[in-house]
Amino acid sequence: MSEEHDFGEEFYSAYAAGSLDPALTLLIETQASLKADVRKELLIADAVAGTFLESEAPAPMSFRAAERALEAIDALQAQPAIERKASRMASRMVDELIRLPEPLQEIALQNSVQSGWKYAGKGLRVLPIDVSADVTTELLRIEPGCGAPSHTHEGSEYTLVVSGGFTDEFGAYGPGDVSIVGSDHTHRPVADEGEICFALAVRDGNLKFDGLLGVLQKFFG
Amino acid sequence: MLKSPLMTSGTGMTEREKFSRALEAIAEKQCRESFTELFGFFAPRIKSYLMRLGSDDVQAEELAQEVMITVWRKAGQFDPKQASPSTWIFRIARNRRIDAFRRTKNLDVEADEPALSPAPLPQPQEQMELIETEEIVRDAVSELPDDQRKLLKAAFFDGLSHVEIATRFKLPLGTVKSRIRLAFQKLRTKLDYEEGE
Repeated sequence: MSEEHDFGEEFYSAYAAGSLDPALTLLIETQASLKADVRKELLIADAVAGTFLESEAPAPMSFRAAERALEAIDALQAQPAIERKASRMASRMVDELIRLPEPLQEIALQNSVQSGWKYAGKGLRVLPIDVSADVTTELLRIEPGCGAPSHTHEGSEYTLVVSGGFTDEFGAYGPGDVSIVGSDHTHRPVADEGEICFALAVRDGNLKFDGLLGVLQKFFG
Repeated sequence: MLKSPLMTSGTGMTEREKFSRALEAIAEKQCRESFTELFGFFAPRIKSYLMRLGSDDVQAEELAQEVMITVWRKAGQFDPKQASPSTWIFRIARNRRIDAFRRTKNLDVEADEPALSPAPLPQPQEQMELIETEEIVRDAVSELPDDQRKLLKAAFFDGLSHVEIATRFKLPLGTVKSRIRLAFQKLRTKLDYEEGE
């Protein structure tokens, strides 16, 4: 057997296992669609890998993993048929929501189905979270370098960074940090580079925050 | 012999057939029980596969979730004449992993981009249905001697290069190459023989 053939086998096995460079994977799949002998090699390779998947020792999944997958599926399916690009965007959004920490995950998924994300400016999307009638609660999705326009609050705004980070006139905030902006303050938060920032914002708007403030402080403390 | 967990069950239906039916039930009636059944078998194995290829527990768990969600969404594309459930699901897992790899490289990749969707294997007019081909390959794998099958697995499932395999199994590189070549050749020969009939 020639050396060339030898290389072929290593190539196909890397393809099958998924360790082949993605560009080469694309190349070889394209080639397979054009050539029957390559197609056959890939078929054998895939069947071999599939066989080993069956006999693989299972690694335990976390508690309620299947239920959580079904919840995400429900969220996906509740979306009306929208054009391809939009649905692609939506599915990416749902993928992102699945990564949210547990307490936020379920309600964010529910709300993404009920009300959906709203465009709020370049690189900024807002998902209203229906959790309290007395305050405005929103999940913010801010793309790197983007942010909310400069704004002043009548009441107070508490913003918890869930992932990524943002910076405003008062400081830089990373995951787990809470930015508290009181009335009459003006700020312009901008998401940090490198990662989409998810943040949970709670605002009392024109309402009095006093009654709730104690509860919130306990929560954040 | 390769110990397969998928031997015939009491109902007379093989586990594989059950998984095929489950995929069809998801496609036709959005059957949640079928999904849970598939999830129970495949998610932990996909996770294990991903960890084997270097993902940590959290990444592997997340990706396995994504794979199973994709399985639900694409169930309508599953054709039991073209592939077994495990091979079909394995392809999705492989593609999601590549997709995730690109995401970490900060390339803007859309999950449904043609190149990244589970490659629907081309369906030209080969004489045999692909599922038959797959069954022949699977049987041939189970008949391989242990030393060949181990190396085949290291290459085709664990994604190791021949050099890496030589190191891991403390074998001369030439031996690794010839054993894998021999094993793969057996699969090809078996296939050619069956196709010739």
